[in-house]
Amino acid sequence: MLNDVTFGQYYPAQSFVHKMDPRTKILALIAFIVLLFVSSNFYSLLACVLVISIALAAARVPFGRVLKSVKGIIFIVVFTAVLNLFFHGGETVYAQWWIFRITREGIINTVFLTSRLFFLVMASSVLTLTTTPVALTDGIESLLKPLKYIRFPVHELALIMSIALRFIPTLIDETNRIIAAQKARGADFESGNLFKRIKAIIPILIPLLISAFRRADELGDAMDARCYSGSKNRTKYKKLKFGGRDIVALLVFALLIAGVVLLNIYWAQIFPLINDYIRLS
Amino acid sequence: MSEEYIIDCKNVKFTYSGAVSPAVNNVSLKIKRGEFVSVIGHNGSGKSTLARLLNGLLEAEDGKISVLGMDVAEGKNYLEIRKHIGIVFQNPDNQTVASIVEDDIAFGPENIGIEREEIGRRIEWALSAVGMEKYRNATPTRLSGGQKQRIAVAGVLAIKPDVLILDEATAMLDPKGRREVIEVVSRLNKDEGMTVILITHFMEEALLADRAIVMNKGEIVLEGTPEAIFENGELLETYNLSLPEISIISDKLRACGMEIANVLRPEALAEEIVKNMQNNGIYAGQSSKFNPIAVESAHEWDIDISNLTFTYSKKSPFAAKALRGVNLHIGEGEFFGIIGHTGSGKSTLIQHLNALIRLPQTLKHYRKPKAKKGQPAPVIPAISVGQFDLTSKKCDFKALRASVGMVFQYPEYQLFAETVFADVAFGLKNFNKKITAEETEQAVKSSLEMVGLNYEEVKDKSPFDLSGGQKRRVAIAGVIVTKPHILVLDEPAAGLDPKGKCEIMELLHKIHREWCRTVIIVSHDMDEVAENCTRAAVISEGAVFACESPAMLFKRADELTALGLDIPLTAKISRELAKSGIIIDSDCTVNGFCEGVAEVYKGGANA
Repeated sequence: MLNDVTFGQYYPAQSFVHKMDPRTKILALIAFIVLLFVSSNFYSLLACVLVISIALAAARVPFGRVLKSVKGIIFIVVFTAVLNLFFHGGETVYAQWWIFRITREGIINTVFLTSRLFFLVMASSVLTLTTTPVALTDGIESLLKPLKYIRFPVHELALIMSIALRFIPTLIDETNRIIAAQKARGADFESGNLFKRIKAIIPILIPLLISAFRRADELGDAMDARCYSGSKNRTKYKKLKFGGRDIVALLVFALLIAGVVLLNIYWAQIFPLINDYIRLS
Repeated sequence: MSEEYIIDCKNVKFTYSGAVSPAVNNVSLKIKRGEFVSVIGHNGSGKSTLARLLNGLLEAEDGKISVLGMDVAEGKNYLEIRKHIGIVFQNPDNQTVASIVEDDIAFGPENIGIEREEIGRRIEWALSAVGMEKYRNATPTRLSGGQKQRIAVAGVLAIKPDVLILDEATAMLDPKGRREVIEVVSRLNKDEGMTVILITHFMEEALLADRAIVMNKGEIVLEGTPEAIFENGELLETYNLSLPEISIISDKLRACGMEIANVLRPEALAEEIVKNMQNNGIYAGQSSKFNPIAVESAHEWDIDISNLTFTYSKKSPFAAKALRGVNLHIGEGEFFGIIGHTGSGKSTLIQHLNALIRLPQTLKHYRKPKAKKGQPAPVIPAISVGQFDLTSKKCDFKALRASVGMVFQYPEYQLFAETVFADVAFGLKNFNKKITAEETEQAVKSSLEMVGLNYEEVKDKSPFDLSGGQKRRVAIAGVIVTKPHILVLDEPAAGLDPKGKCEIMELLHKIHREWCRTVIIVSHDMDEVAENCTRAAVISEGAVFACESPAMLFKRADELTALGLDIPLTAKISRELAKSGIIIDSDCTVNGFCEGVAEVYKGGANA
C-alpha cells in the first residue's frame, strides 16, 4: 500500500541548486511566486519562463520528475481553466451559447491563470526536489527567527518539525509491518464498499497509534536523559551559511525581478502600439 | 564531595502509580568511579526502574540517591546530574531526534549550552569513540540496529558524562550489533575510565563486568564477581534467570566425571577439556556418532522456491535489491531455521511464502522479460507451497494465507482488539465468513490453551493489560487459530529474557508436534538454531549461502564468521578442541556436544 511512498521528494544529485542555502531557495521561491502574480503581460510572463528554465537547468533534475508533480494538480488547473474560459466575461465576444461566453479577455485570462499555476508548482517542486526535508526545516527555522521577539516558539516548532521528519520513515515502516501482519491474518483492505474499507483500517490504526504513543513516551525519556530543558540557554551547532553561489543566485534573481517589473511598467511606453494590442483589459 | 563512590543509593524504594508492589524496593548500591557493573534480572525485576531513578527521570519515594555528592531528589540538581549520568535506552529507533547523525549527536551538547566549535570537536570524538566516523552525515533510519545504537551511545557521550548506563541497550539487536555495542562500551570503560552500568538479561554480557548485581522483584538478591554469581545456578533459576550456556556445558561435563574449573570463555573451557582428556591419556580422538538427517522430498506440503529475485522501489533512485536468486526447498515436517543478519533479505523471503509479496507474474502489469541476443534467457522466479502454485494468477491467495501462518517480529505490537477473544478470532473470521459463534469459541479456546494461557481468565481482558510474554502468546494464538499447515515466525524470541525464550521455543515445539506440520523460524541466535532446527539456511546478500543441518552448517564456522554471523557456543568450543586434535562431531546441541565429549573421554578411560 505504502510501498511507493519514497520519503519526501528529494532527488539526490550534486548540482548548483542542490548546494544552495535552503534560505536562498525559499526566498527565491517566494519572490518568484510574487513575480508570477504581478506579471501582467506576456513579456513578463516569458521572463518567468526564462527564470524557471534557468532554475531547472541548474538543478539537473530529470524533467519527468518535475512534470510528475505538475500531474498532481492537473485536475484543478483544467477545472479553473474551463470556468474561466466560459464565465470570465469581457467585451470582445467570440462565441456565445446560453450562459457560456468565450471572450478574448477570457482566453487571455485563462492562459495566464494556467501558466501561473503550472509555473508555481514547477518552481515549488524544484525546491523540494533539490532540498532535503532537513535542510528545508533548518531554512524555515532560520527565516522565522525574527518571530522569536514576539514570543513565537520558533525553536519548539523547529524541533517538532525535525522530530516529525525523523519519524516519518520509521512510522511508514511500522505501518507496512502492521499491514503485512494483518493481511497475513486474512485482513482485506482492497475490496468492499467505503464503509467496509474504513472499518478494515481499524486493525492498522489502533496498533499504529499505540506504537506512536509508546515511541513518544520513550523519546521523551531519551530527550530528558540528554538534558533537554526547552530552548533556554541552548546553543545551536549547525549554522546555515550563505556561500558564493547564493550571492550569485540572489543577484541573478534580483536582476530578473527588476526586469519583470520594468517590463510591466515601461513596456507600454517603449512599444505603445504592440502593447495596446496585447494588453489584458 | 565524596569522590570514592560516584553513585551512592541507600534504601531506595519506588512504586509505580496503580501498582500493588514496589518496582524497586530497599535497594542500596555503591558504585566506584571507573567500575564496570552489570545488573541482571528478568523482565520486570526493577532494573530499568533503577536506571531511571539514578538520573532523576523517576523520583524515589523513599531512601536517598546521591550522584557525585549531589542529592538527586533536590529539584535543582536534576539537570546537573543528567550531565553526569547518560542513559542509552532499549529501542534504537526511539532515541534519535534528528534525521542526520551529526545533528542528533549535537542535540545533547546544544541542550547544555556548549559552544559551536566545541560541539564539532565532541561530535568527532564521540563518533570515533563508537567507531562510526564515516557516518557523520548519514541518515539514522538507514543504518543497522547496531549502528543506530552506537549513534545513540555517541549522542550520550557527547555530553561527556561520568557514568554511562545501558538500559537493555542490546536487547533488540542482532548478535553482530550486540557485539559492536558491547565492544564499544568495554573499550570506553578500559581506555577512557568511563563508569559503566550495563543492564541486561543476556548472561554472556554480564560476564564482562567487574561486578554483577542480580535483581529480583525490585530487590538486589545477589552481588559479586560474575564467576561467583554463576556458581549459584539453582538460585538464579528461582529468579527466572538462566545460567550462561558455558556454565551449563561445564556442569554437564562435570556430571560425566570431568574436572572442569569455573571458566567463562569458550577457549578456556576447551583448555579445561583438553587437560581432562590428556589426564585420561587421550591426545587425539574423534566422536562421530552423529549422523545428519537426510531430508526426504516431495511431500504434500513441501515448499519449493526457485530463482527468486526481488527489488524494492524499482525504478527509483532508492532501488534496493533484496533477493538475488534464492533457491530453497523446505520439506514437510521440518523445523527449519533461516539465518542471516539484518538486511540480508530474510524478511523479504518469508513474505513471499504467503504472497504478502506477490510474484511479478501474478501482478496486473506483468510483461514477460524477453531474452536479449547473446544472453541466456531471463530466469523467472517460481514458488510452490503444497498444492498452491504462487506463480499463477488463479492461486487462491486467501486460502494460502490460511495455510501459511505468519508471526512477525514483536507480534504483540499488532494486537488491536478490545478483548483477547476478539483479537484471536480476527483471523478466523477473515478466512471463514460463515463460521458460527460456537465454532469460533471452540477454535479460540483451543488456540489460547495451545499457547499456554487460561482461556476463561484472559478471554475478556484487554490484550494491552497483559504482560509482555502473555501478549506475545496471544499474538501467536491469533495466527495459529486457523490451524495453518506451515507456521513461519520472524524472531519469535526477540526481546524476551532467557526464561521467556526457553518457554517460547518449547511452545513452538509443542505447536510443531500437535498442530503445524512445518515450522520455520527466522533467527539471529545460532544457539537457538542449533538446539531446535532440523535444518537451516543461511541467507547472505539476498541469496542462500548454505542450507544444511546445524551439524554440517556449523562445521563451516570460519565461513560463517567471515559473513559476520555468529556460531553456537558448542561449535566455538569444538573449533578450539580441534586445534588440539580432539574432534567432536556433534549436532551442535548442548546435549549432543556434551555426549560427544563424554564419549571420547570415556573411550580413553576404557583403553
